[in-house]
Amino acid sequence: MLEPKTVLFLSALLFSAGMYGVLSRRNLLMLLMSLELMLNAVNIALVAYSRAWAGRQADIVGAHTGQFFTLMVMAVAASEVGIGLAIIVAIFRRKRSADSEVASELKN
Amino acid sequence: MEVLFLISSIVCLLGTVLLLSHRNAVYGLLGLLVAFVGSAGVFRSLDAPFVAVAQVLVYAGALAVMFLFVLMFTDTRTSLDRAGLPLSVGARVNFKPEDVKKFKDEQAAQKPASLLQSVQLPQPLAAVIALAFFACLAFAIHKLPDHTWGSFGELPANYETGLVERVADGTTIDRKVGYGSTSAISYTIFEGFPLAFEVVSLLIFAAVLGAVLLARRHLEGLTAPSRPERAGGDSHGHSGAHH
Repeated sequence: MLEPKTVLFLSALLFSAGMYGVLSRRNLLMLLMSLELMLNAVNIALVAYSRAWAGRQADIVGAHTGQFFTLMVMAVAASEVGIGLAIIVAIFRRKRSADSEVASELKN
Repeated sequence: MEVLFLISSIVCLLGTVLLLSHRNAVYGLLGLLVAFVGSAGVFRSLDAPFVAVAQVLVYAGALAVMFLFVLMFTDTRTSLDRAGLPLSVGARVNFKPEDVKKFKDEQAAQKPASLLQSVQLPQPLAAVIALAFFACLAFAIHKLPDHTWGSFGELPANYETGLVERVADGTTIDRKVGYGSTSAISYTIFEGFPLAFEVVSLLIFAAVLGAVLLARRHLEGLTAPSRPERAGGDSHGHSGAHH
């Protein structure tokens, strides 16, 4: 029998994996991909909660709120990736590299 | 449902491992794609078919293609133009023949890493931080009360939405929609959260404008050009205009 906790464990695992990717990567593109993985993990948790509320006979808006949130997160993630990729292209143009260490003008 | 969840979550985790373990960004993107498709299966197993379809369309379709484009633009080793030279955004450099030969020799000597060769060792500090974070999350999930979060519960076969469909002769009929269907999602959006929906459209509009502004060749008035104009660099284009 599938339980909410199982799905939440999967979500936590994916989120931590994405966190590891964000912390360990130097390539900006890989960093952005790991960030997407973290957002995706949050989506899984939201859908799991949505399904759990539906199982408790919530009204239609209440039972689908988690799925609506998931769609909003998808829209925000898409915008974020668009902006992020544009920034990466701009950095690459100036520095000839997509390494996260090259954009350090504001350091110190 | 359990079988689908099991298979999808395993696919999702395999894709995650592929994403995290490889140095080559193309393999990483492939892993991310697998993870997205796997999580679409997880959504389907949680009775959210619309979200699953949106996941495949938005993430696995649009986002992956966008990543792939930028990957090809920025990865000088994998993206070459017709002369076999690195194709990079905005770089209109006139290469000398000896440069071309040198670059081609380098390319011949350095083959792209295979799937096994591009595996990189884990970074210990990042792994420790992520594992500690996962331990905290797992503890919190374990502590969730069983009487409220122990099971998903039975799904109602139909939702009485109060949706009324008008037919041609003026009479109305009640419609019942299934959980997670497109009708139910649209009812939730437009009856529950219409303002959020509009605000998100504004956000996407702003993001499109911002991306176009950021990706322009030179940010006129904001920054200096990315590289100084070369003396003979654009002679071809200008000579055509003068004649």
